[in-house]
Amino acid sequence: MLDLAMRAIQASLDGLAARQRITAENIANVDTPGYLAGRISFENSLAEAIKDGDPTASGINPWHSLDPTRMNGNNVNVDDENVSLVETGLRFELAVESMNNKFRILRDSIRRDT
Amino acid sequence: MAIFPVLHTSGSGLRTHRIWMDAIADNIANINTVRPFDDDAFQARFIVAQAVRSDNQDPPGVGGGSRAAAVLFGDAEGRIRYEPDHPYANEQGLVRYPDMDLGDQMTQLLMAQRAYQMNLAVVDRARDTYMQAIRINGR
Repeated sequence: MLDLAMRAIQASLDGLAARQRITAENIANVDTPGYLAGRISFENSLAEAIKDGDPTASGINPWHSLDPTRMNGNNVNVDDENVSLVETGLRFELAVESMNNKFRILRDSIRRDT
Repeated sequence: MAIFPVLHTSGSGLRTHRIWMDAIADNIANINTVRPFDDDAFQARFIVAQAVRSDNQDPPGVGGGSRAAAVLFGDAEGRIRYEPDHPYANEQGLVRYPDMDLGDQMTQLLMAQRAYQMNLAVVDRARDTYMQAIRINGR
């Protein structure tokens, strides 16, 4: 029922949600000794998957930040994480709005009136 | 090319000024750090801020942001004081204090904090703007 674009948006929402979660985790662990900031990449995998025609085949890859650590072995930067929260939130909003548009088109074509 | 470029530009400003505040905190924490006369005094930390090259931005030259490129260290001679009772004092009764001015450090702290707040304000404003752009087609 979902077309290629909708499945692509869905995969993108999954990736962004994962990034939002890991950012929250990073902020929660800003003082945890030895904690390395987590990162999520899914864009390249998603682009490949879309090219191959199946966005659901894309993967979400977690990895650790290589930023220099502080004395306690922690490398979380709160300002970077906050900017990431804002940006990921905006991109999530953008994807949700795109999905809404797809559904609007679908609904308009189902309804007789309007 | 980032999708929301302003966030990265102000984000780099946040980071630069947070590092500056870290350096000032270091300086103030060591404002009374006494060293023996034969050693170097605590040296004030200076952050060198640098504009990031933005040739690959669109348009080129805009939106590179800033970064803390280096840390420079102040005068190692410090201020020599006569404190004969101090355990670190030499035969003449001299010790070294750091050559820093608390008023100057507090002024720098204020500047760094204000700049941090301004970058945060830009992030806020950019978020509102982008949000409106996202909702252009909304009903």
